[in-house]
Amino acid sequence: MLQVLTANRLLDGAAVYLAPNGAWVETLEGARVFDSKADAEAALQVGVEAERRLVIVHAYLFDVVQAGDQVKPVKQREVIRAAGPTVRRDLGKQAAA
Amino acid sequence: MYRYDEFDQRAVDERVAQFAGQVARRLSGELTEDAFKPLRLMNGLYLQLHAYMLRVAIPYGTLSSRQLHKLAHIARRFDKGYGHFTTRQNLQYNWPKLAEVPEILRALAAVEMHAIQTSGNCIRNVTSDQFAGAAADEVEDPRIWSEIIRQWSTFHPEFSFLPRKFKIAVTAAPKDRAAIKVHDIGIVIRKGAAGVNVFDVWVGGGQGRTPIIGQLIGEGIAAEDLLAYLEATMRVYNQHGRRDNIYKARIKILVHQIGATEMRRQVEAEFAEVKAKGAVVVPPDEIARIAAYFRPPAFETLFDADLSAARRDAGFAAWHDINVARHKVPGYAIVTVSLKPIGGIPGDASADQMDLVAELARAYSFDEIRVSHEQNLVLAHVRQRDLPELWRRLEAAGLGSANHGLISDIIACPGLDYCDLANARSISIAQAISQRFAALERQRAIGELKIKISGCINACGHHHVGHIGILGVDKKGVEFYQITLGGSGDETTSIGEILGPAFGEADVPDAIEALVDAYFALRQDGERFLDTYRRVGIQPFREKLYASH
Repeated sequence: MLQVLTANRLLDGAAVYLAPNGAWVETLEGARVFDSKADAEAALQVGVEAERRLVIVHAYLFDVVQAGDQVKPVKQREVIRAAGPTVRRDLGKQAAA
Repeated sequence: MYRYDEFDQRAVDERVAQFAGQVARRLSGELTEDAFKPLRLMNGLYLQLHAYMLRVAIPYGTLSSRQLHKLAHIARRFDKGYGHFTTRQNLQYNWPKLAEVPEILRALAAVEMHAIQTSGNCIRNVTSDQFAGAAADEVEDPRIWSEIIRQWSTFHPEFSFLPRKFKIAVTAAPKDRAAIKVHDIGIVIRKGAAGVNVFDVWVGGGQGRTPIIGQLIGEGIAAEDLLAYLEATMRVYNQHGRRDNIYKARIKILVHQIGATEMRRQVEAEFAEVKAKGAVVVPPDEIARIAAYFRPPAFETLFDADLSAARRDAGFAAWHDINVARHKVPGYAIVTVSLKPIGGIPGDASADQMDLVAELARAYSFDEIRVSHEQNLVLAHVRQRDLPELWRRLEAAGLGSANHGLISDIIACPGLDYCDLANARSISIAQAISQRFAALERQRAIGELKIKISGCINACGHHHVGHIGILGVDKKGVEFYQITLGGSGDETTSIGEILGPAFGEADVPDAIEALVDAYFALRQDGERFLDTYRRVGIQPFREKLYASH
């Protein structure tokens, strides 16, 4: 199963994702996708370090699937975290899209 | 309404300063998230799906215009221009930034508000009847004792680390508008045999994973004994409530396991000991001081108004019929301001709407607003002759929906659109149902029907006590909805019964429609949905629903 590492940004709580270059980005499109369980679990240590550096809190992995050139979360919860409230399309990351 | 004295204000100001220091230490790295989390929760600050969420306490749901204006200001200045009124009569901001939370709390403190004890395993915001002080059927204003309990329970050192959160509701009317039997402690103030008001104490009610109706543990408790009795109850819970299993930690589990008789015996024994050792007794002067804050406003001497001319407007007439309740003083009325426009988000109000309601309260309702646990606002003391103008102004701002108690007056928790605990969305289901039943004529034909929706088993949307309850569940990452029938949160409290297999999101409105059709086919003259259900049971509804799917 493909996985992405996510967390909440300390300053504002926004959902962020670990990018290939080690940065934490706001969009799922920019996230690093782990295709091996070992790599994904190793990335959790990156989360621990980022939490220590006061960048993020509560890092965890979630499952995604590749749909064409897009990565999509398996669970609705992560779809909503990535976009914003489905009942307020003017809010969250979807508002800027 | 109650105003802080110097001690209240100092306590809140000191708490704001303390939390500002804790936030600064968190941002500097001096505090880890593990250390900070319990501190932020004690100050109502959660971390949700998209952002932090700040839950602001509105004691027993009463606000002044000045306070509501301040809530509007905070929504604009620090959030995204709106707030969400909850089933705990609180207000939640969904997008505050961590560094700005101390400033928000300072703004709240400036109008005698705070977010203390809106989370954590402590006694939470005391809730009450939104018609308090205005209802024709009450024996006294329940906010007097709500306020005394608020003061007693705030920062109470013995009850700051309970096995689990603890919710108290108070009513003083036989018609229960505060859902007291599904609270950890529900208090009913009633006339005693000697004509003096006494207190019935219902213990061990609650919703969540294990819905249980409270038991009458203390009957006819005298006013001077109330705090001692509550203290005794809390002590029994604090001693025997389970701390080893979060799912069995609420007082309802304790009462259920040992039984009402044994609970009563233990509380009585503790009560005797508390009294023998010197119980907390509120001095009569202090009760009188607090009661003075809840004295009725300066009502004019009026006759009931003739509104027949205004009622020629069908919109006003419907709203007048549905959202306006009888006041105990002639010439006045109680107005429920619906926060449930068709297709809207239950409980949400924009900053502009909050400002407008605050202005209208100042102009028409003695400067006071109530928040109901059903996620509406109430103007409790409106001159009947002002109703047409009030309605016009509400209507122009999208607040004039005539649907109080009808099928579109739906309780919904924030659900998976915002909440970190949720398994499924609630708001979108409420929107779809209200759109399906948008036609007011049809809503009125259906009559009273309370739909309550929760996005997870924690039941913040009170689904267990919905006439129709809807619970969102996650099945392999997909949202499904389990429907219950026959719940009620009033003086005839009942827990809803599960109908059968859950429905997919898109099928819920059809399912509700099938249940309404069944009701129409089954009901007898004068029956509400709940009456019909109670007469015929669940089976006819089940047959109709699953035959159509």
